[in-house]
Amino acid sequence: MKITELLFFFMLFTSVNPAQTKDFDFSSPINIKKFADFLFCDRDYLRAALEYERLISSEVKDTLLFKIALSYSIIGDYPFAIKYFGKIPYSSSYINEAQLELIKTHYLMNDYYGVRSFYNNSFIKEANKYQLEGNKLFNFSYLFTKDELPSKEKFLSPFNLSEKDEISEYYDWKQDPLYKSSTIAGIMSAIIPGSGKMYVGEIGDGIVAFITTTVFSFIAYDNFKAGHNTRGWIWAGVAALFYGGNIYGSVAAAQVHNAKITFEFNDGLNVFLQKNNYYTPAYGFCDEK
Amino acid sequence: MVIKIFFFSILIFTVSGLSQTDWVRWEKVEYSYEKPNRFRQRDYSFDTESASGFIAKSAVNTYWYFFSELDGDNCPYSPSCSAFFVQSAKETNIFQGTLMFFDRFTRDYNIYKRYEHYPRVKDGHYYDPVSLYTLDEDKIEYIPPSVLIKK
Amino acid sequence: MVFVMKSNYIIFLIILFECTLFAQNSFDEQFNLTKKLYSDENYFDTVTELKRLLFFNPNSEYIYSAYETIGKSYKQGAKFSDAIRYFTLAEINALSVDEIYNSRIDIIRVNILRRTTDRAFKLLDSLEADIRFNDKIDEINYWRGWAFIFADDWENAAVTFAGIDSTIELTVLAKKVDDDLYSVSFAKTISYIIPGAGQIYTGEYISGLLSLGWNILWGYLTIKSFIDERIFDGIVIANFLWLRFYRGNLQNAEKFAKEKNLIISNKAMNYLQFEFKGLKP
Repeated sequence: MKITELLFFFMLFTSVNPAQTKDFDFSSPINIKKFADFLFCDRDYLRAALEYERLISSEVKDTLLFKIALSYSIIGDYPFAIKYFGKIPYSSSYINEAQLELIKTHYLMNDYYGVRSFYNNSFIKEANKYQLEGNKLFNFSYLFTKDELPSKEKFLSPFNLSEKDEISEYYDWKQDPLYKSSTIAGIMSAIIPGSGKMYVGEIGDGIVAFITTTVFSFIAYDNFKAGHNTRGWIWAGVAALFYGGNIYGSVAAAQVHNAKITFEFNDGLNVFLQKNNYYTPAYGFCDEK
Repeated sequence: MVIKIFFFSILIFTVSGLSQTDWVRWEKVEYSYEKPNRFRQRDYSFDTESASGFIAKSAVNTYWYFFSELDGDNCPYSPSCSAFFVQSAKETNIFQGTLMFFDRFTRDYNIYKRYEHYPRVKDGHYYDPVSLYTLDEDKIEYIPPSVLIKK
Repeated sequence: MVFVMKSNYIIFLIILFECTLFAQNSFDEQFNLTKKLYSDENYFDTVTELKRLLFFNPNSEYIYSAYETIGKSYKQGAKFSDAIRYFTLAEINALSVDEIYNSRIDIIRVNILRRTTDRAFKLLDSLEADIRFNDKIDEINYWRGWAFIFADDWENAAVTFAGIDSTIELTVLAKKVDDDLYSVSFAKTISYIIPGAGQIYTGEYISGLLSLGWNILWGYLTIKSFIDERIFDGIVIANFLWLRFYRGNLQNAEKFAKEKNLIISNKAMNYLQFEFKGLKP
């Protein structure tokens, strides 16, 4: 009798402590999910995605697909992110979030035309809770491309009052991007050596170009004047190469300057988007712990 | 403002970089005990098929062997002025290459605020590649000076 | 009644036996799986499976080994900061003095390997100062010798290994490398006196002679200009040519000595990595 009681308590004890059950199944769907959730919240996203993927055959749940896609998006595996966001069925409660995330993924891939064409074919464009966010992302994509901007009023319309000043600044910058004309730079340097470089902001290079060209020209002139014609021609050749090199360099410097302006502008836009998390919501998957 | 934004973006990248070890599947790495040889190695080989490339390379090889190897490290840039000349001639033509070389010369003598203009290579030289100056805008890949170039 | 009692007793024993057997088996199996993955050099999955084991059984007897093996896996993938993080976790969860010692040595070895040798020396000093590890002095010095090697201090490496009985091979090697290395300051000094001499000392004969030739030529032209009272020419040649080549000569003497030294030490490093049979970082 006593032993039977003992036996009962022993079995009860072993059954309530899962870690010590007689046959712990690491591969059971519930345990895979628990582990995957842990990895996901531990920011170990690739492992999390791989674990969630093991469950797809046994249970297709849209939360699962969404978390896999999110994991791939965070680790920068965008083709996989697109694949899994795309698998979420239209009937799912995550469909709007998935579509918003797909727009974000196109941004992360620097595919701004993809942003627009996806938006135009998505539900986000129609009335739903992320319509405004989708519209913001759609408009914002014009700041990255060379396409003509929509009218300012139309462009700013989806943005909040608090954002409008900053966005308006970006809009104006894009309209008039402080580029330097490479033609003007070349012509200026052809008239006064070095002035084209100064025009694009390379003051030091401009001064050096002016000095080298004038000094070698003067030496050539001095030699011709003294009757040293051979030496005169050699120095004249060097002066001509510095002169030509400077015109060439002024055109190139304008192009580099413009590339720099574009880079810094786009970098600013990316930081803005990152700060706003590409207008995607926080999902709170790891909040309850 | 732009600069501020740029540094902020670098900061974001660095912070998120801390947890990225396992974001890509990694394999065993044969980690060498040897130290890398960062001494500047000249490439004397003629790996060009164009005539202008051959002429430029012959001149440069002679210059390297009898002068440049012996008069110290005077060029602050990477690639060095002579290597820049060879690469320019190879990518464009001898005429354009010569103009690019003389323009580089001008930049070589300008010591004003270089650190604000050029990113650095690991060995301390300023990175100033040919691709920025071929006049082909699609080839220009702007790299800000705060970036350390790993070659 | 006796029979019933007895049968109950037997059932109890069987269940108890099975429970302990299976409880052991599930986690043992998982642990053995990670061992196999590790020996198959599948380090990424080793980390995954150990993380799984630790997640479901955070208080098991495997905790130290699990953290240590995760650290070792990261080390194999040259992810040294992560390796150190997990070796530290192993140390925190160590159950014996030996385990504490082993995890600290693991941390030291990673610091040696990634050449953060200052940190390695500090950790070795603290190990040596700890009375619990008094019987491990030789082993501590063994790793100190390796730290000197990775710090490019072959002289001290030779001295350190010489103090341990069983490391004759390493002592001889370190001493030989130290003897073979060129003196950078000597190369520079003799090039100050005779341009090109430092290069010749490091075996770069042509470069040395060319350097000497240029310096003689520009020196001659400079002096001749001054003798002929062409002061401007003299200053220009001295400044733009002679000084330039003289400075280049000094730079080359230093560069060649350092480069040759790098080749010598790298050859030894290559031997240590691939031929040497003893314990390595």
